[in-house]
Amino acid sequence: MSDERDPVVSDEGTAHAIEVTINGETHKRTVLARQLLVHFLRDTLGLQGTHVGCDTGSCGACSVIVDGQLIKSCMMLAPQVDGASIETVEGLAQDGELNVLQRSFNENHGLQCGYCTPGMLMAATDLLRRNPNPSEDEIRHGIRGNICRCTGYVNIVKSIKAAAEAGAGAAEEASR
Amino acid sequence: MLLESVEYTRPRNLDEALRALASREGAAVLAGGQSLVNVLKNRVASVDLLVDVSRLDELRRIEVGADGGLEIGACVTYDELERSDDIRGAQPMLASAAGHIEDRQIRNRGTIGGNCCLSDPSNNLPPLLIALGATMNVQGPGGGRQVPAEDFFFGYFMPALEPGEILRSISIPPLADDAGVGYQALSVGHDSKAIVRAAAHVRGGDTIEDARVVLAVVGPRPVRHSAMEDLLNGAPASAETVERASEAIGDGDGLEPISDAHGSADYRRRVARVLARRAVYEAMMRGARS
Ligand SMILES: Cc1cc2nc3c(=O)[nH]c(=O)nc-3n(C[C@H](O)[C@H](O)[C@H](O)COP(=O)(O)OP(=O)(O)OC[C@H]3O[C@@H](n4cnc5c(N)ncnc54)[C@H](O)[C@@H]3O)c2cc1C
Ligand code: FES
Ligand code: FES
Repeated sequence: MSDERDPVVSDEGTAHAIEVTINGETHKRTVLARQLLVHFLRDTLGLQGTHVGCDTGSCGACSVIVDGQLIKSCMMLAPQVDGASIETVEGLAQDGELNVLQRSFNENHGLQCGYCTPGMLMAATDLLRRNPNPSEDEIRHGIRGNICRCTGYVNIVKSIKAAAEAGAGAAEEASR
Repeated sequence: MLLESVEYTRPRNLDEALRALASREGAAVLAGGQSLVNVLKNRVASVDLLVDVSRLDELRRIEVGADGGLEIGACVTYDELERSDDIRGAQPMLASAAGHIEDRQIRNRGTIGGNCCLSDPSNNLPPLLIALGATMNVQGPGGGRQVPAEDFFFGYFMPALEPGEILRSISIPPLADDAGVGYQALSVGHDSKAIVRAAAHVRGGDTIEDARVVLAVVGPRPVRHSAMEDLLNGAPASAETVERASEAIGDGDGLEPISDAHGSADYRRRVARVLARRAVYEAMMRGARS
């Protein structure tokens, strides 16, 4: 965590020095209290894989994993993640290669427009960590917070199932 | 969206939090943020200082007393409620209700205290906490006080908190060996916003005692239906008793539900009786099984 020091107050509210680890890389920045986490990721750090859909906590497009917990980044403030370790969709591919889950979405047509996909992938990553071999019901329950307006979910469920069968679940569980 | 200018502070303990909250009129407690952040986006409240209590250890404990009673810190999340062995053991219905709030992301952040302090009449936990006979432990600049859950939900978005007060924890008395709890909701979709809720507690084996019947989303606050409770207490534990007692709700005269896209006020009044009957019956069955 960053050194204890008083935030700077201006007519924009408080500004806080924070330190966060994102996909293994440490970032030190000064953030305004009024900045949502999703804008810190997208605008301040340029990590635009995380999408903004509804901006009301309803669609899940902005889902990322903070300290092992799936959350919606439009529902947290940037200073709240001081000291945290964050995983975003940019961290899934390894050495430029899509991981098993991402490949499965590709092969099983788990996306059409792709807007929901980053959030869906993070929700699926979280699900497979907790439950490496989910049933269809468990998959649907796991992605309850993620809306897709294109696919009707059938191919998303299929993609997650296939990824689990290809060992994505076991790998995620081991990585915890 | 960029929020309106706001200051943020993360106090190190409850005393600091109380001091920060008292420091100005526009200070607000930030717990899970799963409602408050949307309030800030909508700019409907004038908040100029957020006091983030979500990481305070003092508010994050679950304690089990020698008698099996629970004291749950206000910032325990829904996910923690669902997974806690202590809560699953002592109050399985609470663990299950928390596990069905909306979705994983919200369950990872939303807190039992925030669910109550928002005092949204459609929220999941308030009616159940009233049925369980819970007590809200409130801390203010001048000390602590206790508020029975049934007096805590004052009205739409109005908890019984004075300015500067923080909900510290919620105490739930142990369930008697012959007690059962029922919780029914008619929801818009799976695990989503409810149109009407009914929660019930009964005990006593062959004769019903300590009946508590709570109806919610039928007015500005969850309410106990004492006429139905009176017909249950002392009567034989049977389906007929429950059916007859539920007639006390009738067509829901006295309830003040709103009409919205999900149901008219009239519909909500009628559904209230059906759900109350099912909740009491469920409580009776669970009590008999334990
Ligand atoms: C898309 C969506 C759907 C939802 N669906 C449901 C649903 O179906 N059922 C349901 O029950 N909820 C639902 N919620 C709301 C969610 O459960 C919130 O978590 C809850 O209403 C507030 O809890 P919180 O911890 O997030 O509190 P916050 O949002 O941080 O705070 C809520 C209010 O309570 C005050 N407060 C919080 N904690 C304290 C405390 N300890 N002492 C004093 N004041 C305090 C805050 O100042 C604020 O006014 C939904 C939210 C979203 C975004
Ligand atoms: S953009 Fe965050 S949930 Fe929709
Ligand atoms: S692929 Fe278009 S929203 Fe899901």
